[in-house]
Amino acid sequence: MTRRGRAAELVAAAGIAAFLLAFVLAPTAALFRHGLSGPSGAAALAQALTSAGGARAFSASLEQGGLSAALAGLLGYPAGVFVGRYRWRGRTVARSALLLPFLLPGLVMVLGVLDLVGPSGLLGGPLPSLRWYASGIPGIVAVNLLYNVPIVVVLTAAGCEASSSDLEETVASLGGGPGRVFRESWGLPSAIGAGCGALLTFVLSALSFAPPILLCGERCATVEVRVYELSAIAGEPALAAALALVLVLVFAGPTLLYVLLARRLRAVRGRRFRPRAPDWARPTTWLWAGSFAAVGLAESALLGAVLLRSLSSPGGGSFGAPWRLLVSASTAARIGNPVGSAIANTLLFAALAAAVTVVLGIGSAFLTSRRPAVGAPLALALFVPVLISPVVLAQALGTFWGPWLGAGYSLAVLIVLSQALLAAPFALQSLELPLAGIPAGATEAATALGAGPWTAFVDGALPRIRRGVETAVLFAFALGMGEFTATYFFANPTPAVRTLPVEIYLLVPARLFPEAEAAAALLLVLSLAVFAAITALGGRDAR
Amino acid sequence: MLAEPILEVDRLSVRLGRTEVLRDVSFTVGPGELLSLLGPNGSGKTTLLRTIAGFETATSGTVRLGGRDVAGVPVHRRSIGLLVQDPVLFPHRTVLENIAYAPLLQRRPEPEVRELAGRLAELLSLAALLDRVPGELSGGQQQRVALARALAARPQLVLLDEPFASIDPEIRADLYAEFRAALRASGTAAIHVTHDREEGLFLGDRTALLFGGRLDPPGRPEAVFARPRSRRAARFLGYNLLPGPDGPFAVLPEDLRFDAPREGGVPATVRASGPSGRGYLAILSTDRGVRVALRSATPLLPGTEGGLTWETALELPPDDAADAPAEPKNREAVGTP
Repeated sequence: MTRRGRAAELVAAAGIAAFLLAFVLAPTAALFRHGLSGPSGAAALAQALTSAGGARAFSASLEQGGLSAALAGLLGYPAGVFVGRYRWRGRTVARSALLLPFLLPGLVMVLGVLDLVGPSGLLGGPLPSLRWYASGIPGIVAVNLLYNVPIVVVLTAAGCEASSSDLEETVASLGGGPGRVFRESWGLPSAIGAGCGALLTFVLSALSFAPPILLCGERCATVEVRVYELSAIAGEPALAAALALVLVLVFAGPTLLYVLLARRLRAVRGRRFRPRAPDWARPTTWLWAGSFAAVGLAESALLGAVLLRSLSSPGGGSFGAPWRLLVSASTAARIGNPVGSAIANTLLFAALAAAVTVVLGIGSAFLTSRRPAVGAPLALALFVPVLISPVVLAQALGTFWGPWLGAGYSLAVLIVLSQALLAAPFALQSLELPLAGIPAGATEAATALGAGPWTAFVDGALPRIRRGVETAVLFAFALGMGEFTATYFFANPTPAVRTLPVEIYLLVPARLFPEAEAAAALLLVLSLAVFAAITALGGRDAR
Repeated sequence: MLAEPILEVDRLSVRLGRTEVLRDVSFTVGPGELLSLLGPNGSGKTTLLRTIAGFETATSGTVRLGGRDVAGVPVHRRSIGLLVQDPVLFPHRTVLENIAYAPLLQRRPEPEVRELAGRLAELLSLAALLDRVPGELSGGQQQRVALARALAARPQLVLLDEPFASIDPEIRADLYAEFRAALRASGTAAIHVTHDREEGLFLGDRTALLFGGRLDPPGRPEAVFARPRSRRAARFLGYNLLPGPDGPFAVLPEDLRFDAPREGGVPATVRASGPSGRGYLAILSTDRGVRVALRSATPLLPGTEGGLTWETALELPPDDAADAPAEPKNREAVGTP
């Protein structure tokens, strides 16, 4: 190892570690200390644990998370098997399209559920029995399910692809029937994939913010909502910090389990896997395909309903009226910010967040390729923001850095950081697989020709992960565009930094539904453009 | 072939996506026979085995195993053993448990399974390794376990998909011999596919060449080698193709002679030369730019100009008329081609 090599590694490791320390670990530690060290610290912790509001919030979180995860697992597993194990026309595009709902804020899914099965929804209007799914716990679970089931599908498919086709075919050739093949070959990896998806669904649903408030109200508020209310509305920062600490302790288990399972899934990838032609003579094939069709149909109907309603609201009005209302001066006056400014903020913050993510990603990739023992723990540490949840992250950043930045547009810095930190763990996953596929000699050839460590990485490894980097940038951009909870924490009191998701959230309680539909449709169209770019990159890879 | 064939493949075509991978492939395999299919990468060898096994579906044509059309029969009911490049042993089971896997699935009595496993282990030199797990075995040993495991299922047919490709060259010949002996002893018919011509010609009772999804009729390995049916077959089998007045003809590197200075024959220049076995292998190019390989007893100096002559050459049919074998043709130095 040359001195230059060591220096480059040190710079990358120190950079990532300093970033995490400054914007995640130190602010979070300060927040928790704030919650525990004051004169009422211990009392605040006790109150967070025992108060009716705290207990009810935890109960609501666990109920919503548990139901959503169970249903997402039940529906997503068979659909994921169809995507992962079989080859069929349009499989690659369908698989990418499944990520689309995950790129949108949960708010769009809330509007979709209301547009579809709400009292004046496309189906809920003529079929009143379906309205049960548009409010209360059923409505929240429906939103969480539709938001997260694509992730269960994608991760189950990844699990299926982690199995070895050679092993499967060997077992079958030795006389093992479908049940034996499942047990010996693809059962465990597919279950790990589905387990990852279900755990992520549990965490994201238990800590969801907008669906419980918009579809149920205070009685369904999750811990995430309760932390926000204590901090931003009730003026009880110590109590909020104490509750945030309990939240992190309670949800650390499932989040860490998710991270460990996801790592295990990636560790077994790269075995020889070949998707097979569907065997339509077997009933199970119809079960897998039917589940996938159900997921696809539900997601399409939901997003289609949003697009449809954005063109014509149920209360009448001319074609395109919601869009005209959205850009009108009266709407801007009602929500305190013109929509043009929100669009500009959305795109600018997401672009900056994507830039931060990709710098983190390339640094992490460089380190992991040269020093896995250092790079892997740092990559793992990038998951901490997901563990501590968006509201707690925002609260920590706001408490720690807010006094330095003051109010106004400078808060955009914290919005960008929150979006980058929350997107990074997911966006960087598109880098890990190509990174694992880099042969050992890729950088050694450049080094042997006299290149320094960074040049060797740029010439030897980076071209091989370029597609992954591009996908990570787009993914981070899309996630940043759709990020709502942390952004809302900063942007609610500061109209100048509001983004489209925040505006949608403000439009719904103001009962400006047509305007909210148009804003949601706009976000959907922007996300569709990003999705198209990701799919095009995937297509280029396939060629 | 007098006995009823174990496998009959008749006009089999397979399309994967938009690509027709196999076209009108027909052949049979007799009881206890080992058929070697030779072809370059991408010629459809693996697809052919996977279709016979039931992992791919034929677009048209039939596969009959033991006289029964197996269309629609699932893989695990076809009585087929499969060996691929990766032995795919069960890592958490011992060698004995791996070999006993299929007989136990078939619910055969345990004493019979033990006896069978012991016999196969003896046959494949695995008797001392029965208590080990796959991670403690070499690549060759793992492949022997894979064959023992496949044979323990008492299949009608074993499919060998380049099983020696990742085995060290110095033990590969031993494995050829052991595999052939084990298949003979068990009386199991087998199809073996490879792109290694030495391996294919050595192992097969009969050999056939597969190019672009089309199969030449199988024949004795000696005959397949001595009478290639097309230019690409000749090229694949290691012949030099030299242009002649009536079309190209094939000459083996051993049958070429290089004289410098040139005293006749085809003008050629030595491009490279190096030791190969007991003699030397030289690469030359003719005055028309045709690349030629030549084996010689002495080294040739790169850049030397001279003339190529030969004793025996084969006239070749064109590639699209691959139904007739090449005609032997003795000629002295074919003037200027």
